[in-house]
Amino acid sequence: MRAIDAGILVCTECHELNKQEADTDEQTCTRCGALVHARRPNSLTRTWALLITAAIIYIPANVLPIMTVSSLGQGDPSTIMSGVIQLVQHGMIPIAAVVFIASILVPTFKLVGIALLLFSVQRRQPLSARQRIWMYRFIEFIGRWSMLDIFVIAILVAVVNFGRLASVEANLGAVAFASVVILTMLAAVTFDPRLIWDNTESDADHD
Amino acid sequence: MSESVDAPGLSELPLEDLVACHECDLLMRKPQLAHGEKAICPRCGYELYAHRHNVVQRSLALVIAALLLYVPANFLPIMQLNILGQSAQDTVWSGVVGLFNTDMQGVSIVVFLCSMAIPLLKLLCQLFVLLTIQFNVGRSYGLLLYRIYHHLRDWGMLEVYLMGVLVAIVKLADMAAITVGLGLACFIGLLLVQVWLEVVMSPHQIWQALSGEDAHAGD
Repeated sequence: MRAIDAGILVCTECHELNKQEADTDEQTCTRCGALVHARRPNSLTRTWALLITAAIIYIPANVLPIMTVSSLGQGDPSTIMSGVIQLVQHGMIPIAAVVFIASILVPTFKLVGIALLLFSVQRRQPLSARQRIWMYRFIEFIGRWSMLDIFVIAILVAVVNFGRLASVEANLGAVAFASVVILTMLAAVTFDPRLIWDNTESDADHD
Repeated sequence: MSESVDAPGLSELPLEDLVACHECDLLMRKPQLAHGEKAICPRCGYELYAHRHNVVQRSLALVIAALLLYVPANFLPIMQLNILGQSAQDTVWSGVVGLFNTDMQGVSIVVFLCSMAIPLLKLLCQLFVLLTIQFNVGRSYGLLLYRIYHHLRDWGMLEVYLMGVLVAIVKLADMAAITVGLGLACFIGLLLVQVWLEVVMSPHQIWQALSGEDAHAGD
């Protein structure tokens, strides 16, 4: 039995149970005072909006250079992918793998994964609730790691600062990339995981 | 616990005897937990809540340790770079300033928030919440701050920053001589204490203690 069927609302912030009041739109939690809803309002629409925006910005984030390393007056702009390739060419495979996963695989997986979650909730695609909840948790957990490249740029800009001899500066691609990471993280927050279980065949997925 | 899932009349029980999974909305009879036990949702596997010893005192100690480490972690040099006799130092703060001065204000603010401001705000919220429980004053502010803390949680990214330091060191290694600074040790310390704190400070007990439902919830 779901809490919603028993007329009970779970506070999304402190997880306190609240009896649903009959004729009010804005009910607040009896313990912490947050607004409580049976399900987050417009969760799917908001998540779609954030996801689509992120998908659009994803293109400049990957095409534009994220930083320029200049040494002895010669600039060398690099995109996310070329940064990974440089690491591979220098033989630093493990670090190249970490950067590749954090900056390329994870953002792509998040865009595709959240879209799949939304599709499967809206159209009852053949993904079991268990697969979906694992995907949701994975996306929620992994999202922050995409910020890696942005931090690397911040560190390089600060430390490689020798004027004409050698310097690093950040470029527009970094702005786009940071926006993608933040938008996809917001999309994961606005998505209400309880929707995943709402349209499964009652408790069929439960062992 | 799963036998109680389909028990008839679940909706007639008083709210105090019930618990609902925050992630899948499954309604269950509330289990009684001993110290050190935790309850897991039988349907989706989410940790409903845990019951730990001395939550408030242990968390307070950890919060204070983390706050003490915060300043050196952010303002002592993480690494030092030498090229042809010239040297440069990197701190978390200088990274923020560096980006800001090269017309990347947006990115600089994001880095500042994720690596400095939000981790500090999180610690201050936790400190204040624990103090209100410990001294039994200002609980309503405590509730508000603990809500803010939960909203901030995902946005503090110390561990990602540490990985960033590692990647930067590897990238620079063949270009210049690098010495690792004391700031890095403090940063790693801060990160470890903070992770430990998140494990110890079990939210369910803190909420209960804050709302005064159970005077010994934090013990």
